[in-house]
Amino acid sequence: MSPLAKRIVAELEQSPRQFHDVVEDHMDVPWPDFLKAWGEIRAACILGRDDDGAYMIAPADTAV
Amino acid sequence: MKKSFRDFVQALDDGGELLRVNKPVDMRRASALMSQSDKAVMFENIADYPDWRVAGALITSRARLAIALDCGAGEIAARFEERAARPIDPVIVDDGPCQEVVLQGDDVDLSALPFPIMHLFDGGPYLSGTFVVSKDPEYGRNSGSYRMMYRTPRETGIDLVSPSDMRFYYQRALDQGKPLEIAVAVGVHPYEMLAASYKAPIRTDELSIAGGLHGAPVPLVKCKTVDLEVPADAEFVLEGELLPIGWTADEGPFGEFSQISGDVKWNPVFRVKCITRRRDPIFYQLQMPWENDWLAAPVTEAAGLQALRIASVEPVDIRAPVGSCGYWSLIASIKKRPGEGKNALLALLSVAEVKLAIVTDDDIDIHDPDDLDWAMTFRVQADQDLIVVSGARAKHIDPSVKSWELGKGGLPTTAKLGIDATIPEGVPKQLYRRIRTYAADDVRLEDFL
Repeated sequence: MSPLAKRIVAELEQSPRQFHDVVEDHMDVPWPDFLKAWGEIRAACILGRDDDGAYMIAPADTAV
Repeated sequence: MKKSFRDFVQALDDGGELLRVNKPVDMRRASALMSQSDKAVMFENIADYPDWRVAGALITSRARLAIALDCGAGEIAARFEERAARPIDPVIVDDGPCQEVVLQGDDVDLSALPFPIMHLFDGGPYLSGTFVVSKDPEYGRNSGSYRMMYRTPRETGIDLVSPSDMRFYYQRALDQGKPLEIAVAVGVHPYEMLAASYKAPIRTDELSIAGGLHGAPVPLVKCKTVDLEVPADAEFVLEGELLPIGWTADEGPFGEFSQISGDVKWNPVFRVKCITRRRDPIFYQLQMPWENDWLAAPVTEAAGLQALRIASVEPVDIRAPVGSCGYWSLIASIKKRPGEGKNALLALLSVAEVKLAIVTDDDIDIHDPDDLDWAMTFRVQADQDLIVVSGARAKHIDPSVKSWELGKGGLPTTAKLGIDATIPEGVPKQLYRRIRTYAADDVRLEDFL
């Protein structure tokens, strides 16, 4: 994973976050780079969703 | 002559309805900027996407819808109905601007497209203004419009929850354990977008409907990697397949055309194999919900007119209010014969997911809320003039249908309400004679000032 993707994963491990919160915390990063990093996280199949649609790092058996 | 997306943007510009923004815009702020404009918007300079421009909020008023249909604002539904009834088959051409650049293999990278983030609670960046083509060996070509959520540089989600021909095609492919090939054209003329949302019977090629709306065949090019054809003048095209995984991947929320934030849905995944585009593409950002709602209205209105005529009721005017997202309500005035208030309601309630229909006589201006209220107050008896139909087809995005109780892939139903606000049978018309001022035409106030 890229350093940016690892940073986002670390943030999601702390607590569930809405997508817009993840975006806002990385406004210093060019948008294409953010999209690539988000794609890395998606491809790793480690994300989960809570009832409000927020993203979190999920156990393997519940990842989406 | 068939018109392109660029022709429409130019028509908006010529009509003083387009705002061109030359300063660099970050795609994380594009939607917020568009939402502050009372005109259609063209961003000429996109940060980190030097090859691209972005256009959006193109149709957020009846006036701009009329420009799209090249008619007067009061003629939209009739124009759509008349032209959609005279389909013209598309033609295949050898090449088109949508394939000036072809990206395959390792060059396929969706992060190189300026996906916007549009609404506060969206689950990701979205492609909203899509014209999606698919094919079934038995039922033929189909076109529709489906939102797509960025997942990875090669994958998007797609909202395939609601009943549609493409959902049916996908289910048939899924039953055989096969993917469904699709091609996603973006930046097509509003006629194509209207045809895509037209509830055509299965086996009807929406591209022929688009041809009817244009009054000329839609030129198509063959895709590079899938057995499909797309409008040759599109701005860009994504080719690929819906994976045979069923409704298992999270998608959403996305600001729905029902003007609600929506929730997480379970949907298939679209894997992109090829991207083709113009050398200088314009990314079309359909600004939800208003642009979608204005595009939905003429389709719903035309379907209502058609349903009334099939029911042998003579319509005078019809409106799909934007408050109902141009989709869930129909209000019509008719030249009524005895019993036709109810016949008209039955016809209007048969249209798609219309769940509220109101019918008035032709002396009521259905665009004037006060006039409509007056008719509903004085021409309606609740125990005689309401129709309720239970268990009809519905859409998930209406919270009142409680779709969360259905499980993955389940389809909701709804109740429908009809209000007959025509003069009741047996009530003399003269009892509704409206007040008119005595000698109103004989004097002018300004002559006394």
